[in-house]
Amino acid sequence: MIESALIILSQAVAALLVSPFIVGLIRKVKARLQCRQGASVVQPYYDLAKLFRKDVVVSTNTSWIFTATPYILFASTLTAILLVPIFLSKVPINFAGDVIAVVYLLALGTFFLILAGLDAGSAFGGMGSSREAIVASLTEPAMILSIFAVGLTAGSTNLSTIVHKTALLQDIVTDPPPHLMAFVALFIVTLAETGRVPVDNPATHLELTMIHEAMVLEYSGRYLALVEWASALKLLLFLTLLSNIFAPWGIATEVEPAWMALGLAVWLVKVSGLAVVIGVIESMFAKLRLFRVTDLLGVAFILSLLAVVFFYILRV
Amino acid sequence: MIRPDIASQMVDLCAALLLLTCFAIVAQRRLSACVDLFALQSAFLAVTAALVAFLTGIHHIYIAALLTVIIKVIIIPRILKKVITRLNVTRELVLNINIPPSLLICGALVILAFYITQPIISLGFLLTKDSLAISLAIVLIGFFTMIARKKAVTQVVGFLVMENGLFLGATAAAYGMPLIVELGVFFDVLVAGLIIGIFTHRLQDTFDSVDTSKLTELKE
Repeated sequence: MIESALIILSQAVAALLVSPFIVGLIRKVKARLQCRQGASVVQPYYDLAKLFRKDVVVSTNTSWIFTATPYILFASTLTAILLVPIFLSKVPINFAGDVIAVVYLLALGTFFLILAGLDAGSAFGGMGSSREAIVASLTEPAMILSIFAVGLTAGSTNLSTIVHKTALLQDIVTDPPPHLMAFVALFIVTLAETGRVPVDNPATHLELTMIHEAMVLEYSGRYLALVEWASALKLLLFLTLLSNIFAPWGIATEVEPAWMALGLAVWLVKVSGLAVVIGVIESMFAKLRLFRVTDLLGVAFILSLLAVVFFYILRV
Repeated sequence: MIRPDIASQMVDLCAALLLLTCFAIVAQRRLSACVDLFALQSAFLAVTAALVAFLTGIHHIYIAALLTVIIKVIIIPRILKKVITRLNVTRELVLNINIPPSLLICGALVILAFYITQPIISLGFLLTKDSLAISLAIVLIGFFTMIARKKAVTQVVGFLVMENGLFLGATAAAYGMPLIVELGVFFDVLVAGLIIGIFTHRLQDTFDSVDTSKLTELKE
């Protein structure tokens, strides 16, 4: 019992501590590719610390939704990441929810963020919210289907079971084409859901293009810190899903301190590697026009759909 | 020696990469990016062929892989790039079928290809047998690209994608055709690429556009 509680706690601490580092790492990679020195990778920690010390300015026109959203967003994202195996393949609270719970915990946060964007009544907030609603509704099916494609091979929608069976290569069917398609689909979803370059640009506040930044424009102080931290956690969650669902090898499969330490190190290497890849992609591609985003997400949806269909066709 | 089931999965993975680039070509509007993606697909094809050659020990497939690199990764994309720079059209603005429905149709084509080849695959015993379905899917998608696009350049890319699918199919079904046939096919593709390049130039000179739908109208 105490052991489980300790594992849950350590997973939460690891996720909270590592997530700003991933954001800093992506910024650093982008800066280096642009021949700039760039801020240190620990800069996001300083930013968060600074924001937590600052006062909050809240518009008098806003309702309770505006002040509650940062807490709801942060709590739902943190809960979601606790359900995802990070360094131990069987997370102790896996009874609490499977992959569907993870997807809809994230959707809950997005929903409240969209409401909060509308709440202050500014033009930018409404614009950002409507765009986020488009992107979220298009990514959700692709995300669900691509994880289901892997879930089918493991015979479960529980993330712990999927990761555990894949890590041990025990009674699962491995089939490279569907896995590859599901991986690419989930990668595109990651870029779209976390507001990365072909869909949204996290580095600018350009009114014509911003999505996430437009929604959180009214936030300041500790509210902004919570929103930023939650979006860093969301990015980390997606990178963890990508690395641990498709290549969980190295993760600890039993509760043993040495294995868990190794799992933690392997996980850090994997998510850092994926973060570098995202940084390179952000430097290589231009942002898509908003109405072209559907083309990209269409690719993700079709690939994930094919990955699921393949499972049935190849079993016939 | 590598275990047969793992070897077969490695070939499948390479074939799946080819299929992924097909979808990227369908979703891409910029002509030069389409050509780049075709070059990438041909590179994957060469890797697949080299892998099959390595796993089976049949040496003439290496020559086919090398020819694929020279002709389809280097020469033909260069010809097409030259055509594109001369045409000063950079992207496909009006499509016969828009991109999201095209993607859905391509998904349906892939499923169709898997259904058709499933009875044949279950009878096969080669380690490349599973990629037969993927090769048929690539042929169908290439064919579809030729129908769905208006610009001559993307139609050429569709034709070449079809050819890639056929090559993969030959490798998958029978460990490649005899070398003399393969040489003939490569020469054929090269000449076709050259002729279509020249033809596109003429099209541009005559109609001030590479939109092939204009060819259906008679002109004084």
